[in-house]
Amino acid sequence: MSYDAIVIGAGVNGLVTAHYLARAGRRVVVLERAVAPDEAPDAGWVPPAVIKELKLTAHGVRVERPNPWIVAALPDGGRLELFADPARSADAIRRLSSADAARWPEFAARMGRLAAVLEDLYAAPPPDVRSRDPGELLRLAGLALRTRRLGKRTVVDLLRVLPMSVAELLDDWFETDALKGVLAAAGVLHLQQGPRSGGTAFSLLHHHVGSPPGVFRSPRSNLGAVLARLPGVEIRRGAEVARIDVAAGRVRGVTLATGEELVAPIVASSADPRRTVLGMLDAGWLDPEQVAALRHVKCRGVVARVSLACEGVDAGELAVAPSMEYLERAYDDAKYRRVSARPYVEGSLRNGVMDAHVQYTPYRLADGAWDAERRRALGESVMRTLGEHVPELRGKAVVREVLTPLDLEGRYGVTEGHLYHGELTLDQILFMRPVPGWSRYRTSIGGLYLCGAGTHPGGAIAGGPGRNAARVMLQEMPR
Amino acid sequence: MAKSYDAIVVGGGHNGLVNAAYLARAGRRVLVLERRPIVGGAAVTEEVFPGYKFSMFSYVVSLLRPEIIRELDLPGHGLHILPLESTLTPMLNGDYLAAWADHDETRRELYRHSPRDADAYDVYGRLMHHMAQAVKPILAMVPPDPTSLSPRDLAGLLRLGRHMRGLEASHFHALYKLMTMSSADYLDEWFETDVLKATKAASGIIGTFLGPRSPGTAYVLLHHYMGELDGVFRAWGFAKGGTGSVSEAIAGAARRLGAEIRVDAPVARVLVRGGRVTGVALESGEEIRARAVVSGLDPRRTFLELVEPGLLPDDLVGDIRRFKFRGSSGKVNLALDGLPEFTCLPGHGAHLRGAVSISPSLEWVERAYDDAKYGEFSRRPYMDIVIPSLIDPGMAPPGRHVMSIFVQYAPFALNGGWTDQRREAFGDAVIDTVAQFAPNLPSLIRHRQVLTPADIERITGLSEGNIFQGELGLHQLFMLRPAASWARYRTPIRGYYQCGAGTHPGGGIMGASGRLAALEMLKDGA
Repeated sequence: MSYDAIVIGAGVNGLVTAHYLARAGRRVVVLERAVAPDEAPDAGWVPPAVIKELKLTAHGVRVERPNPWIVAALPDGGRLELFADPARSADAIRRLSSADAARWPEFAARMGRLAAVLEDLYAAPPPDVRSRDPGELLRLAGLALRTRRLGKRTVVDLLRVLPMSVAELLDDWFETDALKGVLAAAGVLHLQQGPRSGGTAFSLLHHHVGSPPGVFRSPRSNLGAVLARLPGVEIRRGAEVARIDVAAGRVRGVTLATGEELVAPIVASSADPRRTVLGMLDAGWLDPEQVAALRHVKCRGVVARVSLACEGVDAGELAVAPSMEYLERAYDDAKYRRVSARPYVEGSLRNGVMDAHVQYTPYRLADGAWDAERRRALGESVMRTLGEHVPELRGKAVVREVLTPLDLEGRYGVTEGHLYHGELTLDQILFMRPVPGWSRYRTSIGGLYLCGAGTHPGGAIAGGPGRNAARVMLQEMPR
Repeated sequence: MAKSYDAIVVGGGHNGLVNAAYLARAGRRVLVLERRPIVGGAAVTEEVFPGYKFSMFSYVVSLLRPEIIRELDLPGHGLHILPLESTLTPMLNGDYLAAWADHDETRRELYRHSPRDADAYDVYGRLMHHMAQAVKPILAMVPPDPTSLSPRDLAGLLRLGRHMRGLEASHFHALYKLMTMSSADYLDEWFETDVLKATKAASGIIGTFLGPRSPGTAYVLLHHYMGELDGVFRAWGFAKGGTGSVSEAIAGAARRLGAEIRVDAPVARVLVRGGRVTGVALESGEEIRARAVVSGLDPRRTFLELVEPGLLPDDLVGDIRRFKFRGSSGKVNLALDGLPEFTCLPGHGAHLRGAVSISPSLEWVERAYDDAKYGEFSRRPYMDIVIPSLIDPGMAPPGRHVMSIFVQYAPFALNGGWTDQRREAFGDAVIDTVAQFAPNLPSLIRHRQVLTPADIERITGLSEGNIFQGELGLHQLFMLRPAASWARYRTPIRGYYQCGAGTHPGGGIMGASGRLAALEMLKDGA
């Protein structure tokens, strides 16, 4: 059987790439390791271009933006709810601090302008700042000009805020611990860093891209499910790629774990870059320095998913991140490879069910490996944490499933269970993602591309990497 | 009102003195006003205890710009740098890691810990050398204003862009990583020996309120690497007579060139009329006229204290208020009856003539930071220890010694504030920790001086005791130091300038800010 292109992985980015190729008339097969489709909703902003170009509205794509977008548990048992409407959020904040309430609208506006710059950057391959190509230079100049047009203050904010720690940024603006806690949480999502670490302000903005001003969490969608139903692409489930076949420096196809060989001139991997290169490719085809660089891609898994049942409770987008110090102390444990004694917990609690994001839970532990006992202890710690901060959950929550980074690695095949396929730190974004020289979706092997979250613009932008990659591939694919 | 000057320099720290010297060299009538009885700011030598002289604050010379040494003929004015060549790091298991002046010897020593690291060390050294060279031209650049569309600023941005594009791709990417990573993550890519990484990473935390695992520290690592490079003059070492002799040499050069220097002359405020500077008022009430005034003080004092409120735009005032100082280091100066004996390497060998770094593991340094994060001084701090009297016997009476201990972390904003009691508790923690590696130290101590960030602020005037006049974080460097649009040594008040380490390229006894500011002032016809 031969194809124009093979896409590895039927996650959102793999499917987006596949459909862009199919739309251009290519015969595409998507190979997915898992047997059953993942039912969970997809978290992350869906670039409107993806929806429009793949005509997904007609196929029933739904992007859900919970409102309030966050319900922060307060130490006294109360709640701080933040809404899509900045004025309404300001009203809620006013109960805690009138100074912070007064600043909220301007904060929302300023951060919104910065996120708009990122949104602009995310809609195309990362800018090549070293390029001598006139087209690319023109694009860079255009980008600079559009940014400048957002005002002098935006330029200054951009330079100043991106390398900052989210703690410094928020301390400049606000005094309320609970407010700073839930905002700072967006700055450390999937990072082996705490809110006092430089670059976490960027992470806050990254998770703000595409959202209305004043909303600092990504929406959820059924993008993956819609793409999986969309005709035009063959999806083979239970088809684990054992090896990417290369001959004479060019990709030839792939060999499945079953020994079956599939041939295609183009292979696009939406698996994470480390797994793609170190796990599926014969390293002999690569420059040793390139291999070393990939080995150094930081994707330290720090997030566990804990699924809970809390009968009869409907609390919305619940977050336990009561202060920046709370988050920082949770991170301190992870620095020394221990599970946070008091973790940051967040999740949507609807109809008595909650799928919680729990951070920090290091992939590698200082004192042994993840085992049943540690999983059980983590589940209890999450229940205890929720019970302490959300009185109506006390004694009610029941743990259904605990997925540690190790389990996530096993289930989704992502290195160290890092769902963003590489931390979104300043040294791993834009032209540095995943490694210098490979940031434009091409690898040094002819016909082999990367199209997953490990490439620009990274995790939490559902389909963004896949779309950019497909566009690059189409420019280079023979008709 | 007696005299009028072309320029008044507020603050006789090394940058102020360099600035004055360059203005005088161009024929300007210059007056330096220093609050204390001696010049030097944080670069002073003082006889703290009879017969024992200390480089009270700043204690090593590594970054002093060679062009300044040359152009001001500092050796002719008494500057003499004695090499400080080795670093010894005692380990918790009783072993040690040493770096010696002799490259082969260092390599053999490293090989003992890890053959892989010994090989990597050479490659690393070469890369860092390239990196330092890549950054050097930027140190000498007047930062452009990124928001301005004026031809001058656009040309500056273009020059910067060209410089970056001129770098080899691999060097560009390595530089980008250094600018954005934590020193621990960066070093993890190179080495496996923990004590080596800890000792290297320690230079990345100096003067910051960050730990080795905090992004941004890799740049500080590079900042400290730059001193080791200029081949013409070996500028990594200890100034004969203490750090104060660096200031004295610059002051001597400035005087020779015609500058006047007045000590015990604290400036109360800068006089402004119609948006133009007219001079300064001293705390004594005396007013001195000048066509230009340049402040060598830190940005907070330069903008918020010397200038009357209301004269500066709100944006700038906000930026300066947000400028991070967060002093994090202390200093313990000891007068000793004899030499300490380190358990890991007994005897009084060559290792005592170099630095001793108390950085036995990355975790040690990181945990020291954890204490400070939550408002406590480190119970077991990172320390950089030198015994200047071994290199320069004039610093102590015969047979006696002086020891300088740079300590991190001691947060300016200590929980409950600094008191005499807390200061001594901090001093005790320092001595106890050193004694863990050199048990005979406590019995040798004749006198001890403990300086907290609060003391550093009180004595030198450095806000929050920050030794760099503001942290060297990415968001406070180059065109953002101290604030966007005001990184070109000028201020919104005509004739009022800044020349301290709070401007590009920042701290360390470098003098570059003073020199660049003087050159800009001369361009304006000051």
